[in-house]
Amino acid sequence: MNKITDELYESFKKNLESVDGSCVRTSKADLGKTLADVLTKAGIKDTTIVETPLFKEAGVVDALKAAGITVYTDHIRLHAETVKGGITENQYGIAELGTMVQGRDNIDERVVATMAERYFGVVKGSTIVPTYDDMFDLLSGLPQIPDFVGFISGPSRTADIECVSTVGVHGPLTLTAIVVDDE
Amino acid sequence: MSSEELKQEIRAALDNATLSRTLGTFCKTYPAKREKAYVGVDFKATQEKIKEVKSYAADHVDEMIEKFTKNCTARGGKVFVAHSTDEAMEYIRGIVKDNNIKSIVKSKSMCSEELHFNKVLSDDGVLVQETDLGEFIIALEGNTPVHMVMPALHLNKEEVAELFTDYTKVENAPIISEEVKTARKVMRDRFIHADMGVSGANVAVAETGTLFTMTNEGNGRMVGTLPKRHMYIFGIEKFVNSFSDARWIFKALPRNGTGQRITAYISMYTGATQVVTDKDADTKAAKDFDVIILDDPGRRAILADPDFREIFNCIRCGACLDVCPAFALVGGHVFGSKVYTGGIGTLLTHFLVSEERANDIQNICLQCGRCNEVCGGGLHIPQMIMKLREKDAKEHPDHIKKFALDAVSDRKLFHSMLRIAAAAQGPFTKGTPMIRHLPMFLSGLTEGRSFPSIAEVPFRDIFPTIQQKVENPKGTIALFTGCLLDFVYTDLARDVILDLNSIGYVVDMPMGQACCGCPAANMGDVENAAKEAEINIEGMNAEKYDYVVSACPSCTHQIRQYPTYFEEGTDMRKRADEIANKTFDFCKLFYDLGGCVDAGDDKPVKVTYHDSCHLCRSLRVTEEQRELLKHTNGVEFVEMHDHDQCCGFGGSYSVLYPEISAPILENKINNIKDVAPDVVAVDCPGCMMQIRGGLDARDMDNIQVKHTATIIAEKRGLK
Repeated sequence: MNKITDELYESFKKNLESVDGSCVRTSKADLGKTLADVLTKAGIKDTTIVETPLFKEAGVVDALKAAGITVYTDHIRLHAETVKGGITENQYGIAELGTMVQGRDNIDERVVATMAERYFGVVKGSTIVPTYDDMFDLLSGLPQIPDFVGFISGPSRTADIECVSTVGVHGPLTLTAIVVDDE
Repeated sequence: MSSEELKQEIRAALDNATLSRTLGTFCKTYPAKREKAYVGVDFKATQEKIKEVKSYAADHVDEMIEKFTKNCTARGGKVFVAHSTDEAMEYIRGIVKDNNIKSIVKSKSMCSEELHFNKVLSDDGVLVQETDLGEFIIALEGNTPVHMVMPALHLNKEEVAELFTDYTKVENAPIISEEVKTARKVMRDRFIHADMGVSGANVAVAETGTLFTMTNEGNGRMVGTLPKRHMYIFGIEKFVNSFSDARWIFKALPRNGTGQRITAYISMYTGATQVVTDKDADTKAAKDFDVIILDDPGRRAILADPDFREIFNCIRCGACLDVCPAFALVGGHVFGSKVYTGGIGTLLTHFLVSEERANDIQNICLQCGRCNEVCGGGLHIPQMIMKLREKDAKEHPDHIKKFALDAVSDRKLFHSMLRIAAAAQGPFTKGTPMIRHLPMFLSGLTEGRSFPSIAEVPFRDIFPTIQQKVENPKGTIALFTGCLLDFVYTDLARDVILDLNSIGYVVDMPMGQACCGCPAANMGDVENAAKEAEINIEGMNAEKYDYVVSACPSCTHQIRQYPTYFEEGTDMRKRADEIANKTFDFCKLFYDLGGCVDAGDDKPVKVTYHDSCHLCRSLRVTEEQRELLKHTNGVEFVEMHDHDQCCGFGGSYSVLYPEISAPILENKINNIKDVAPDVVAVDCPGCMMQIRGGLDARDMDNIQVKHTATIIAEKRGLK
C-alpha cells in the first residue's frame, strides 16, 4: 500500500468538510495522542472503542485513559446507549466524497458508528482511494462481498422540516475522520 | 372521484401557504443545486448506464429473482417471493405472530405502503414505528407523503411542534434543531427496544444477494443494526445483475433527488449480518434476516406492456417531481396517490395502487417535458402519461370534451363555429382586442389572464389578397397556419410570409388544412388526432412543396407525430413521413435558409425570450431564435430566469385547470418583470396568448409580447 499523498488527503478533507465532517491527519505513533486531544477538545469524557491491531499497536486505549477519558472496550452495545463518544477503525476511504467505508461485518463497529453522539472514524491513508468508481471497482473485485459494507459521509442529517438542512438526526451529531499515515 | 373533487383538492393545496413556500423554494433552488452536484460527473452517460443495467435486469427478471434468492439464502437470508400484496402481507403477519414480535421500527419502504403494512399490523396490536423524520411526522398527522423524498414538506415547524407536543406530552418549541432532537430522543428508545427492523431497498443485486439502502438520517442503519430480526421488502423492479452495476444508480440518485453528491449513508447488506443478541451478556449471532420480494400482477403488467416497460428503469430519485411546474404548486397529495407522487407516481399509481386515482391525476401533467430532461432512468414520463390519458379517454369518454374535439376535427364545422364566435364575442371584448372577463362558469378561464378576441376575417380569406414580390424564387414553402394564426393572429401569418419572401421564398397556403390535432392528442383522443392527421396530409399536399413552415411549435410537434398514426408500409404512412420530414418551425427554417444576417433599424429595444416547451424540449430548437434576435440591429438581448419553464398554457390545459395554470403564469410574469424588457419574444402563439393575457390582466401592457417572426419583419422594415 502506498502512503497517502498530500493532495489526496487535502481532497478527502475538503470533501468531508463540505458535508459537515472534520478531519485530522496523524502518524501511527501519534494516533493515541491525537485521538486523546481531539476527544478532549470536543469535551468528551467517555467513549466506546472497538479494538483493532492498529489501535493496539498504537496504544490508543492507554493514551485515552491517560488523558482522563473513560474507555469501554467491551459490552459495546450496552454502553453505546449512554456513552457520548465512539471510536472505530474503518477499512477504506473515498477522497472525492470525504467518505469512510466500513468494509466488514463487525457488529460492535456498526453499533458505534451508528449510535455514538460523536463519532471518530480512523482510516489508514493508504486505503483511501481517489474516486467513488475506484471504491466500487475495489469492492467488486473482492473474492466475496463482505456481509456488511457501509459508506459514511459526514454526520447524519435531514432536511425533512421545511427543507432546512439540519445535522444530527438518528446517527452521530458530529463526525471526525482521523487519517493515519502508513509507515 | 369527480373532476370537481380533484379541483377542490387543487384549491386546498394552493391555499396551503407552507406547501407553496417550501415546495416553491425547493423547486426553485433545485436546478442549480443539482447542476453543482453533477460537476465532474457526466449525467447523460450515467443515465445511459442506468438504462442499460436496469433494462438488463428487467429483461432477465426471472433469472434475477432466482439468482438473488440463491445467493441471499447461501449467506443466511430467508427469501420469500410474494405473488400478490395480500400474499406478502399474510406471510409477514405469520412471521410477526410466530416470533411474538410486539414492536417494529421501519425505515422508508414505499413497497410496504402498497401492502398497508402499518395498518394491518397495528390492527393486530403491533407497535409499528416509522423512523424517517418526515414519515414520522406525517404518521403523527395521519397523512400520506407529499413528496417521494421529502414526505412532510406541507407542514411548517409550528405545525410539527404541535404534533410533537401532542405526542410527547412535553411542550415542543417551533425550532427545527430542537424538533430534530425530540425525534432523536423518541426514536432512540424505539430502536433500542424494537423486536424487528424493516427496510426498503434502493437496489437488490442478483449475483451477490446484496441489498442497498441509502439514507441521510441514519435511521436506515439503526433499523439494520439494532433489532435481532431484520426484514427487507422490495419489488422486482429493484434488481440489477452485478454489484458493480449498482454504482450507476447511486451516482445519480442523491444528485437527482436532493442535489447531494452522496447521502450520509449507503448501507449494503449481504445476507444475515451480525447482531448483539443479549447486550448485558455481550453475546452475538447472525440475525434473522427475511427478504420479501413483491412479484405482483401490477409489476408484471408493467413488464408485459411495451409502452410502459421502461418504468422498471426508474430509480425513485424524485427528480421528475422536483422540476414539474404543476407539482411545485400542488404537491403530491393532489398530484399523487397515498403511496407514489408526481409524474412517475402517476404511472406507478396506475399499475400498483389505483387505476381510478391515476385516471384523475394524469390530467395534472402539463406535458411540458421538463421531467424528461432530468430523469435518472431516462424514462419518457409525459409520453407514458399521454398513453394513460389515451387509454382513459377511450375507456371513459367525456362527452362534452368528445363533442368539442369531434367539432374541431370536422374542419368545416369548426371553422364556421369560429366565424360565428368572431361575430358573437362583441359583448365580452368591450371593443378592445382582449377578452378580460367571461361570464359565469367560464370566469375561471380569465382569472389572471385575458383572452385575445377572434379575428373578424380569418387568414384563409386574407391570404388570396396578399401580393408576394419575390424575384427569382429559390423555392416554395407551404404555410401551415394552425388555428391560432388562421383565426386569431392573422398579422403574424402575414409576417411569416414577409420574412420568407425577404430571403427568396414564395409562400402558399393550402386551403384543405385543418386543426393539427394537437388538442385531441393532448386529451388522449387518438381517433380524432388521427383523423386530423389524415385531413392535413391530404390537405397540405407536402409533396408539392420544398418545405412546410409553421409558426406554432405545437403544430410542428404534432405534424412530426403524424407517422405514428399510420401503419408502416401504407401509402398514408409514406405521405405522413413526407410531411413530417418537411415541416419546420419558423425560426429553425428561416435560420437554416440563410435568414440570420445582421439587419435591423438600429432602434434600441430590450428583448428577452421565453422558450416554448414543444420548441425547446420536443423540437430541440433553442439557439437559432436567439441568434436571429441577437443579429437584429438595435436588439439588446437579456435572458430571464427559468426561461425554459412552461408558461402554464399547455394547450387545453389552461382551460381545464386554470387554477394551476394561473400561478404558473404568475411565476413567468414575475421572471419577466425582473429583467424589465420592452419585448418578450416567443415562437409559440399559444405562449404569446398566455403571456400577453397575463401582462394585460396586470396592466403591464407596456411590455409587448411578440413572435420572433414579427420582430424580424418589423425591425427589418418588411412591413
